[in-house]
Amino acid sequence: MQTALAELETTYFTLQSQIGMLLSACKTQEDRDALTAKYVAARSAYWSCVNKAFHDDDPDVIALTTELDTANAQLKAAVQQLGEIKSVIDRITKAVTIGASLAAKVIAA
Amino acid sequence: MTNSHPATPKFLRRAVAAGVLLSCLFLAGGCKTSDDATAAASQLAATAKTLTNYYSALDTILGQTDQLNAVQVVLYGIPYDAPIKAEIADTRAEIQKRAAIAKGLTELAQNFAKLTGSTASTDASASAGKLETEVESLKLTKGKMSSDEQALMKAAVDLVVKAIQERKEREAAQGISKFAKALAGFFTKEAPDYESIARDYSAISSSLAKSLLQNGQTDPSGFFKVALDPYGLEPQITDPKLKNGIEMLAEQQVDLKAKALDEAHKNASDDMEKCLKQMADRIDLVANDKPMEVRTVPVTLANVEKWAEPFITKSLSSASSRSAPKAPAKTK
Repeated sequence: MQTALAELETTYFTLQSQIGMLLSACKTQEDRDALTAKYVAARSAYWSCVNKAFHDDDPDVIALTTELDTANAQLKAAVQQLGEIKSVIDRITKAVTIGASLAAKVIAA
Repeated sequence: MTNSHPATPKFLRRAVAAGVLLSCLFLAGGCKTSDDATAAASQLAATAKTLTNYYSALDTILGQTDQLNAVQVVLYGIPYDAPIKAEIADTRAEIQKRAAIAKGLTELAQNFAKLTGSTASTDASASAGKLETEVESLKLTKGKMSSDEQALMKAAVDLVVKAIQERKEREAAQGISKFAKALAGFFTKEAPDYESIARDYSAISSSLAKSLLQNGQTDPSGFFKVALDPYGLEPQITDPKLKNGIEMLAEQQVDLKAKALDEAHKNASDDMEKCLKQMADRIDLVANDKPMEVRTVPVTLANVEKWAEPFITKSLSSASSRSAPKAPAKTK
């Protein structure tokens, strides 16, 4: 399925599959809180879209889906390599932020 | 998922009219096709019953997803707030509505198949009225894609009711055919959503299972039972090195099982889609007075049932007494 939901699913599932390890890698409570907040946002965007229509023909949604696709590829690489946790959280933040915009577009469409 | 119908004149009129609903299938092409119509009605009933089970299994999966999210609060400290809980509950309610439609169609087709009895027409009319209400209850949350199919289903039920009021049997049978086609299209368009819901369940459950394994919070000794069972011995693993080794094996098994769960649901979803399309084609033959020679239900129905059964068993066992013994896991 080449829809917005597929990209939001990728963001959310990438975090879900490694959430235990990512949380363990956090050295400070601040990092843990940031990571948890991003996870919650990714899960929320995913479930909002499960409940809504997927307007593939909306150009804004298509553009954001492509952008999220790129961000997801970077996120997957960052999570697999699990380097400096702050840069991993930055990647997560980027993907989740695009995901939130995409979810908002889908819901509004 | 239950629906009550006030005895309004409109409902009664429709109920009486719909009383001969499935007789249309029998009468549409004259006596020579009545065997085909009976077979088609029975096959439609079996297919709709499997569709009900498919949706009931998805409902169980969503219920367990809700519980898994609650477990994550304890394990990871990830909040599971009311809005997200409501999103999942709302999705679950929508799946339950689809299960109600499939159940309504099952009852209607069953009553059609036994219309020779004097009370069967009353049953069929009640089933038709119920189905109409259930189709109307669907929210338009799926946007234009699914709402098109919903509109088609609603129009088809309206057509059936009107055609019976006017004693136009062939049109009524064609209405049922249209309903079956629209239902198949509805399923096809929503199938990616169903698959995503099932993947979410396996993603969270496998993630939690692996976390518990990695933190030494499981007893992996069961892996040794294959070697010890034949000799009546019980595992008692104390060597940490051995425990670590078996935990790695268990993690691999969790990954494999999660993948297998996703694949099993994808296959069940594809098979259900095929069955619905096959049934729509068969009903179309009967509605257009063409011979329908197939006398068996679509072969892939059994695959869908096999996938759904463990989830339905799980749902039933959790609904029954807590002291009841747990049903053994089904194996393929």
